[in-house]
Amino acid sequence: MLFNKNLVFYYFVLLFSMGYLVTAISLGNPIVESRLEPSFFPIVIGSFAVFFSLILLSRQFAKNKAEPKTSQTDMPASEKAKFAPTLIMLAIFVYILAFSYVGYFISSYLFVLSVILIFSSVEKFLQKAALSFIIALVGYLLFEQVFGVRLPALWE
Amino acid sequence: MEFISLVTQSFSMLLEPVVLAYVIAGFLIGTIFAAIPGLTATLALALLLPLTYSLDVTTALMACASIYMAGMCGGSITATTINIPGAPSSMMTALDGYPLQQQGKGALALGHAAVGSMVGGAVGALLLIAVAPFVAEASLLVKTTGKFSLLAFAVIVIIIAQRGNMIKAAMAACIGIMLSTVGLDAMEPVTRFTFELSELTAGIDLMPVIIGTFAISEILIQANGSGYAKQAVEAFSKVKIKRRDFLPPLAEIRKIGVICYLKSSFIGYFVGTLPGAGGSMGSFLAYAETVRTSKEPETFGKGNPKGIAASESANNAVCGGALVPMLTFGIPGDPITAIMLGVLVINGIQPGPQLMSGQADLIAPMLAALLFSAVILIPLTLFLLGPYFIKIVAIRKDILYGVIALLAVVGSYVATYSFFQMMMALAMGILAYYLRKNGFPLITLLLGFILGPNLEEFLRRALALSNGNPLTFITNLDSLFFIILTLVFVYFLAIKKPLKTPV
Repeated sequence: MLFNKNLVFYYFVLLFSMGYLVTAISLGNPIVESRLEPSFFPIVIGSFAVFFSLILLSRQFAKNKAEPKTSQTDMPASEKAKFAPTLIMLAIFVYILAFSYVGYFISSYLFVLSVILIFSSVEKFLQKAALSFIIALVGYLLFEQVFGVRLPALWE
Repeated sequence: MEFISLVTQSFSMLLEPVVLAYVIAGFLIGTIFAAIPGLTATLALALLLPLTYSLDVTTALMACASIYMAGMCGGSITATTINIPGAPSSMMTALDGYPLQQQGKGALALGHAAVGSMVGGAVGALLLIAVAPFVAEASLLVKTTGKFSLLAFAVIVIIIAQRGNMIKAAMAACIGIMLSTVGLDAMEPVTRFTFELSELTAGIDLMPVIIGTFAISEILIQANGSGYAKQAVEAFSKVKIKRRDFLPPLAEIRKIGVICYLKSSFIGYFVGTLPGAGGSMGSFLAYAETVRTSKEPETFGKGNPKGIAASESANNAVCGGALVPMLTFGIPGDPITAIMLGVLVINGIQPGPQLMSGQADLIAPMLAALLFSAVILIPLTLFLLGPYFIKIVAIRKDILYGVIALLAVVGSYVATYSFFQMMMALAMGILAYYLRKNGFPLITLLLGFILGPNLEEFLRRALALSNGNPLTFITNLDSLFFIILTLVFVYFLAIKKPLKTPV
């Protein structure tokens, strides 16, 4: 099983290390007249990274062969929990984009509400919506008023 | 002596209401974060790091010191009451704390934990105040070649300290170092790994790395949660604690003995000076030593207050020890000292020998706050807030993570007012999440990221000074010393058989 789910991250680490090493090599000669050039250190680190990632991949490969049905160490509690991290990543990504366009308040309110809903459920929605508003407001007061941070606004 | 008197004078700063408020707030936040299973004082510090921009650096460092101290003792609350250590450093406390709770003596166990934390924290801070100036002076003897060997020693030791997980630790360190090489080369005007993105020319900022690694990844891990919090909340509802039960009888403290408190504190302090060892190793070794030398070893693990005292004295003494290499060499020993290093760096202060001699007035108040937190805030917080701890830490998970997510993402903006850095924090968070899920230790990634630039610079400088002769690392005595020290640690940590759990 070369493309087992448990191996995906290890392939990614190997590709990342190899990509880094190739880019480091393309920076130029590592040693010129006994003098270390900017590519030397990245080549050394990149080589170590490729070496370690190959060991990890081979170990994981052997482990998968021995226990084909074993999954990752911490199993999610439910189907919802399985997708929750992806939803959170998406929520943060959208929040960062919205932060610059619609300003702090609306984006933060919706972001906090979405995180609360991901961590719980849509039950007592109004209570959660009110709490999200309060959290966004307290965040605004903390950052803008107490710590003097200039947050983006819808109309500037 | 000059430094000691400077620290003594710094206590007067605690009389300023604003400074005192930040120190107390830091301590309370640290305690709450350490007490809630799944959250850590590291996360608290990562979230509050952006706010230190708007604070005076001395006040920020004092607040950091109190969070650090609180983080070590706060974990004992849930370790004792519900057998779920709020922080890894309190794992050994749970061994005897929880049996005492089951016997209806939970408050007493917390009282013993507080006394142990107080003694350990105070001994660690006093040793730090006494020793740090001498270490700083000695560190002036370490020249360029020795500095490279010292940094390599720190990286290697922190990797081999992750016993049974060394390859992953090494890989994580490589990833950290690789990320640190992004941007302008330190010695020549050449950009590396920027892929023509102008935002990367100055390199990857420390702030998004810390927020992504410790805050965003934590939210993702918790979202993927195991039902742990629900189990904790159910357990909390059964716990009842009264204020009057907190004070341990003097006879019990005498039975534990000054020797036990002091020995555990010294063990914790020395373990703290080692990179990567941390509070959990300190408390483990102190606990193991206490069981080994006890006349009644069979009572440990069944509610012996001596076990709690040993574990808590050691993990709080770690705070003082871990600050020694951070302040004198700029080498953080654990994630919290790494973030504290970040506070110094973002304020343009370079840790190292010069810091202790040239800017001791910045450091002295931080050490005063560390001692103040240990001696005053630990017992006071327990006595005043002890009965309410359980309610505080049983806060709803959805609300808690809503707040943390907001603080983390907006915090990454605060540092640079840059949306690119916010995206960088998210990218680091996702990377850290998958690394954690696959068992990679993040501390080695962070240490690699922080030490990477100096590691490269000293390597290149050392070889330039010796016309490219690598034997310079053996012929220079300071470098040879650290190479031998590395070999000694490799033998004891990686080759020799590990210690067994005492109970």
